[in-house]
Amino acid sequence: MNMFAKLFHDLDNLTKTNDRLDRLVEYFKSASPHDALWVCWFLSGNRIKGAIRTGELRSFVAGWAVLPVWLVEECHQRVGDLAETISLLVKGPSESKAGSLDSTIRKHLLPLRGKDSADRKLLLSDTWSHLSDFEMLPFHKLLTGGFRMGVSKGNLYKALARVGGVEPSLIAQRLAGDWSCDDLSFADVISSSLSRDTNPYKPYPFCLASPVLEEVESLGSLHEWQVEWKWDGIRAQFFSLGGGRGMIWSRGEEAIEESFPELTKCVPYLPQDICLDGEILAWGYDGLRPFARLQKRLGRKSPGASILKRESVRFHAYDLLRLEGNDLRTLPLSKRRKKLEEVFAKIPNHLPLGLSEIVNASGWDELSKKREQSRDRGVEGFMLKRNTSSYESGRVKGSWYKWKIDPFLADMVVVSAQLGHGKRANLYSDYSLAVWDNTGSLVTVAKAYSGLTKKEIEEVDRYIRKNITGKYGPVRSVRPGIVFEVAFEGAQSSGRHKSGVALRFPRIHRWRQDKKPKDADSLDTIRGFAGIQDICLTENQGIDENGNMLLF
Amino acid sequence: MTNILENKREGLYCPAGDFFVDPRGKVERAVITHAHSDHARAGHNYYLCSDSCLPILQIRIGTKAKIESVPFGKRTKIGSAYVSFHPAGHILGSAQIRIEVKGEVWVVSGDYKPQTDRTCEAFEVVSCNGFISECTFGLPVYQWADEQLVHNEINHWWRENAENECPSLLFAYSLGKAQRVLAGLETEGRPVFVHSAVHSFLTHYEQAGVKFPKLQKVERGIDYNFSNSMVIAPPAVEDSTWVRKMKKAKKGFASGWMSIRGAKRRRNLDRGFVLSDHADWHGLLEVINGTGADRVLLTHGNGDALVRFLRETGKDASMLEGASVRGEEEE
Ligand SMILES: [Zn+2]
Ligand SMILES: [Zn+2]
Repeated sequence: MNMFAKLFHDLDNLTKTNDRLDRLVEYFKSASPHDALWVCWFLSGNRIKGAIRTGELRSFVAGWAVLPVWLVEECHQRVGDLAETISLLVKGPSESKAGSLDSTIRKHLLPLRGKDSADRKLLLSDTWSHLSDFEMLPFHKLLTGGFRMGVSKGNLYKALARVGGVEPSLIAQRLAGDWSCDDLSFADVISSSLSRDTNPYKPYPFCLASPVLEEVESLGSLHEWQVEWKWDGIRAQFFSLGGGRGMIWSRGEEAIEESFPELTKCVPYLPQDICLDGEILAWGYDGLRPFARLQKRLGRKSPGASILKRESVRFHAYDLLRLEGNDLRTLPLSKRRKKLEEVFAKIPNHLPLGLSEIVNASGWDELSKKREQSRDRGVEGFMLKRNTSSYESGRVKGSWYKWKIDPFLADMVVVSAQLGHGKRANLYSDYSLAVWDNTGSLVTVAKAYSGLTKKEIEEVDRYIRKNITGKYGPVRSVRPGIVFEVAFEGAQSSGRHKSGVALRFPRIHRWRQDKKPKDADSLDTIRGFAGIQDICLTENQGIDENGNMLLF
Repeated sequence: MTNILENKREGLYCPAGDFFVDPRGKVERAVITHAHSDHARAGHNYYLCSDSCLPILQIRIGTKAKIESVPFGKRTKIGSAYVSFHPAGHILGSAQIRIEVKGEVWVVSGDYKPQTDRTCEAFEVVSCNGFISECTFGLPVYQWADEQLVHNEINHWWRENAENECPSLLFAYSLGKAQRVLAGLETEGRPVFVHSAVHSFLTHYEQAGVKFPKLQKVERGIDYNFSNSMVIAPPAVEDSTWVRKMKKAKKGFASGWMSIRGAKRRRNLDRGFVLSDHADWHGLLEVINGTGADRVLLTHGNGDALVRFLRETGKDASMLEGASVRGEEEE
């Protein structure tokens, strides 16, 4: 455990990506294979679920440190991170009595699952008598699941590739999707032998697009580009396996085929052993439907007949990554597209499978005009893919771009705030934003916590501290005074929100220091944006730290 | 507010002795706990402080100011109040002010730290009826480790940076913290530089018997080769061109606020060292209970949690009205 703790703290202290990468390589070279595999597992974004609940953990700590629970909550609020709070409140022995990372996880962490609360408390107090102060934070990061250490998946793959002397893309494929530390060995992960790959049906790392930041003309001649509409659904890879079986992987690398049985039913009509890259869309007899409709299908395994009928979907194919067992990713896009069209020529029309159409235009001017149809079509703009591009892992500059339509903008007033987390832990940086309703009062329509510079956040924080008008748990109501221009991708009417609308991807566009609260927009304006999309959001969706909705 | 002390616009006022403690604005008589700028301000007519505080106070408010000083522990009569100074363990010369009127005793703590260190007089618990305590770090997440461990960490960090030919730039408040850090350095022959703000206080610390390693003051307009050196500077210069020129430097900060990683990351530092001149959570409780005071008033920091905690343990505690709720720049 000590070696891992050292890695954790070093990664936490290092500020340069390359230094972190070097440190990780050093760890993988010296750690035991069992420990190293756990680090791969966690850095791949996995977490141990169901080991403990937050409230439970706070009450155990309160008991251990002989503090009232409210005080532990205050501490959590100040620190912003529960694992760190615990590591500051619980003092272990000066010398560690914990074993390796692997044994600590197997003895102290995994057994917490399935125990009742009293037994969990016993086991955890025992754990606290084993861990040194140095190991407390790393352990509790594993326990509470918030384990990132500033290492992206891409960098994990690079580090492992260096250790094994293989391509990062190979590592990426081996570590993709669902796996556990019991069905893989570290030697398999870094092995240079290709034949040992046990499961060829794992998702390929998704090729991602960068936003067009400059004038689109700077991309050169339009003839070098394949243009498609940018559809708003769930990006996914669809594999047809032998024996009529299909697998669908979301971009979060979760297997989601059980949620979409109408798609896996198409497998017998597809060539064997292929992989399509595409988007799952809400789609009915009337064509494309708003994204909100798709939400009713999310996270629901084995949906019933009525919802399948009411909330039907379609898989819209963009690309062909595998055909008859051959990896096509290094072929130029134009060749892949040709093969994709050949595959689709043989697929019967009644299936919920579609081919993403190519948009033709004589030049950028004509294309710009066509882009204006985006909102009516329910898409987000264009995708621009270089004809010669291979299917890269992740975001590679110069090959794929998203040319999105401009977001909606509205001026909103900060009416309450909460301390942020992580980097912004001691700053009031989570804001509730309001607009004026017909009766002349401010109603909250969005929450946002991104889009300002560090300096601005600090300045807003100072304003908030001076203008607190009330406390509701961690939330502070604030005297109206700050106006932000908020960008969002769309609005839907919602029964769950007091204002009656829910915004998609709200984020702060800029601080309107020239505007007063009275200049903020009205609820009617926002409702106007909602216009056509009159669907009730009922599912309780989480939001990730970039303000994106968590789909699965 | 109490029989002995009133809370006025300028700060705490003792009518029996007609003086203020650490006042703002302009008053006739100011009794000063210590020479930090949020306690010792220029502009008053007469000052009273502890003997070892005097030369430092002069640096802060000028030698022309009329300052008298008394040794620790000596009772002085001001009007009908008896006043004495007792070590607060915060910085050199820092004092708690004991005020006795008609047998009732109140103590104004100023900033204090019950743990001893080698740069200032050791804290002394003073029994009293009422205690006005700071509470800069009034949450149990603030618990200080043994001082030597922190010095070891700093020395280790410096050695590591030196091996990579990187200067170690360590931010520390110029009065108190900087001297504490300096006194704990193991140079192993490597050079030590200090910013001029830090330098101005060093002689008085040396006169008080504090030993520092061999060091050099950084002068304006000279280009130094800092390569493997330690540079101590106040956090206020963090954004200056001077610091920006030291491209290769690793940056650290020695402060109690560094307990929380978010505070370190927000400043874009390579390292945070948890070293504070204030009482930690246990220190606050130990001292507040040790004084035997029935009434406790808190100032300096967000004390809501400590007030509630003390009340739940049966103490008559509250926030001092108009108390400064100050953030990170706290000295
Ligand atoms: Zn102070
Ligand atoms: Zn002070």
